[in-house]
Amino acid sequence: MTRNTRILMSIIYWAFVVYLFVPLVLMVLMGFKDSKFIGFPIKSWTLDWYIGVFRDTEVISVFVYSTTIAVASTAISLTVGTWISVLLAGRSFFGRTVIFGLTVLPAVIPGIISAISFRIFARLLGIETGMFAIIWAHAVHNVPFVALVVMARLATLPASHTEAAMDLGADRFVSFFRITLPYLKPALIGAGVFCMLLSFDDFVRSFFLGGYEPTLPVLIFSKLRSGMSPEINAIATVVLIMTAVLGIWAERSMRRMGKGT
Amino acid sequence: MSTSSRSETAADTSRRPASGRGDSPTFWGRLSNAGPYRAVTDYVFGSTRRQFVLLAAFPIFWILFAHLGPILQMIRVSFLDSYPPSVGHTPHFTLDNWRTFFTEVIFLRPFFRTLVFSVVLTFATLVLVYPVAYFLSRHVKRDNQMLLLLLLLIPFWVGEIVRTYAIMILLGNTGAVNLILKALGLIEQPIAFMYTNFSLSFGIVYLTSLYMLMPLYSALEKIPQSFSEAAADLGAGPWTRFRRVILPLSLEGISSGCTLVFLISTGLYATPILLGGPSTTLFSETIAGFFHVAGDEWPTGAAFSTIMLLTALVLSGTFMKLMGALQKGGRK
Repeated sequence: MTRNTRILMSIIYWAFVVYLFVPLVLMVLMGFKDSKFIGFPIKSWTLDWYIGVFRDTEVISVFVYSTTIAVASTAISLTVGTWISVLLAGRSFFGRTVIFGLTVLPAVIPGIISAISFRIFARLLGIETGMFAIIWAHAVHNVPFVALVVMARLATLPASHTEAAMDLGADRFVSFFRITLPYLKPALIGAGVFCMLLSFDDFVRSFFLGGYEPTLPVLIFSKLRSGMSPEINAIATVVLIMTAVLGIWAERSMRRMGKGT
Repeated sequence: MSTSSRSETAADTSRRPASGRGDSPTFWGRLSNAGPYRAVTDYVFGSTRRQFVLLAAFPIFWILFAHLGPILQMIRVSFLDSYPPSVGHTPHFTLDNWRTFFTEVIFLRPFFRTLVFSVVLTFATLVLVYPVAYFLSRHVKRDNQMLLLLLLLIPFWVGEIVRTYAIMILLGNTGAVNLILKALGLIEQPIAFMYTNFSLSFGIVYLTSLYMLMPLYSALEKIPQSFSEAAADLGAGPWTRFRRVILPLSLEGISSGCTLVFLISTGLYATPILLGGPSTTLFSETIAGFFHVAGDEWPTGAAFSTIMLLTALVLSGTFMKLMGALQKGGRK
């Protein structure tokens, strides 16, 4: 590859980085604007909008609500996803391909249709819209991601490890908890954080299955519909920083563990 | 002999992180010796068949109930004349909901607009992202690749709503783009970017581009550098090397990236509401419209969702088949 194309390619890469970051940077800056009116140029600056976010009891309670949903749905997704992976990994049985296909099904259904189908199903089961319905929808939607990550990790676990444990008298149950599960730890951390982020950021399912209490994205959406304001920028920025920190932390801890084993 | 010594070392290493305290019985040791536990496990692990049934029962139940159940119920409701059931009325089977779609033109327009939008934007995303993935996987040193990839992942973790809002600030009448154009003296009046096909397309590409990058990157990264070197030795120029070596070998990444982006863009709901206008109504907005009012509209919404789902899955399935055939054809 010639020198010129290499330079051109790196320019394209950095232009792409700029494209991804500029809108977010502008959004963060707008939260410092000393005016109710959204728009450039920013003539005077203030911290009031950001301070306001941490004083706003509604925002804080919505934040707690969203976090509860994210943690609960992630716990369910991890349990079910791991269980499915253990069933599917290294075993061939009648209908395995069908089970695998149905496992990843929720991941390929377009967002709006997934939300609508959950809404109709919740009505059939008599589940009221609200926290429980959202947790269930997020858990189902995130199972495929856990299953795919955990299956990939399970495929690298040498059979000799569990065989050794069984030789020493452990039964399958004990060897799963003492050998397999510790080996899966990096995969579970990575998949878990990914599920938390998906749940925390999800709009369409939370919107159709939510009751009177909004999740954080639904709150931002409803505020946006009644007009843009720097207050929304401040809320969105807090969300942005938290998700980015959580994501980077997961990426780093996964890589460190990946090197360790 | 050798087997037992091997298993001892393996067990030693595995025991260390969990217990570590010499001979005192651990939780797992006590559990294994407990009578009731022994009784249960002796029974369960007594036959492979019993073991399999116990392992498989819950996952299979979950998949059929939670993964397949909502879709099947949606399809069933699409054939009913009223849902949710009201007092004193038993729902009847009907084809009217499906017929509505094919007879009323106002619904066909957003449907086809969604398909065209998704196909065009998927292609645009591919063209935009391919050079980035190519650069990352083939021109950057291994150690730096992860760092540069991480940089692109940060905006990706931020959700749909926040990023859509960021686009609104960028493209608004008093947004950054209009400010710069005005400062440069190129325009007098702000250009109305927002609530048009442009703002919607810009936003959708912004949201989906990373879903294209990841599969492309992993496909391109697998191609050994020596392949294009060999082609160069045989006299192939840069363009030929790309067209005859790199592109065919990255088809798998193109195929899954495009499918992913297509399925995501057909299902977006908040973005078309916030970035689009009355002239850009997408099918997701049409579908949602049936669920905002309680009563007899649910079955029609269910029928429309089913039509959208079938179309999206058939289109992406066909596309993946075609790409697969192309890959096989190229390998001969």
